[in-house]
Amino acid sequence: MFGQYLLSAPHNLRRLWAEGARRVRAVRERRKTIEEFRKARGIRLLREWLSPEQQAQFDAFRHFDVIGCDTGSRYRIRHGTQTNIHEIDAEGHPIAGWCFIPSGPLVAGDVMLAQKIALETNERAALAIANRFAVVRR
Amino acid sequence: MAAQIVMNHTGDTRHYFNAEDIVALSKAEARFKKLTGAGFTAALRDADGKTTVTRTFDPTAEETLFFPRLIGG
Repeated sequence: MFGQYLLSAPHNLRRLWAEGARRVRAVRERRKTIEEFRKARGIRLLREWLSPEQQAQFDAFRHFDVIGCDTGSRYRIRHGTQTNIHEIDAEGHPIAGWCFIPSGPLVAGDVMLAQKIALETNERAALAIANRFAVVRR
Repeated sequence: MAAQIVMNHTGDTRHYFNAEDIVALSKAEARFKKLTGAGFTAALRDADGKTTVTRTFDPTAEETLFFPRLIGG
């Protein structure tokens, strides 16, 4: 009996290992699906609130421009969750980078939408809390 | 149907309510006060797509979006 158990142990271990690996893969796949779903929801919400011009720009380039409500400055919001705002000049060249984000674990679409609304409705307050960073002209 | 959209870790959560139903409206107002009290910003969008930020509950708003407090990144 014990001998038979010893003989089948490697087979049982392999079976357990394969089963464990299959479960880990399933969990990873599920997490990936949930993450993609979250990201897609964020982008859907963003698109709902973008102007038609901003939507077209975002679809073509993965960024869109907003006009600051207080200074009239133009900002380019790129797809991302941090250091993704560039203040740009009339030719579209970056002048400075600005970083402010909504607190909490939000997806890129949500972050970009909060940034857009902040710059379009309360630019000075947004810049007051933002960190400025240098940008390199390409 | 009016909607309150709250950004969160799932992307967003949407609360739909009938603005002509007094009970639903009072719940929506309570949600508005709770969220803005917790630091969320409430934004409205008019028919032309123009966005405004509000600090008071607007019972006629079709769609209100709430996003968490902004911080320097």
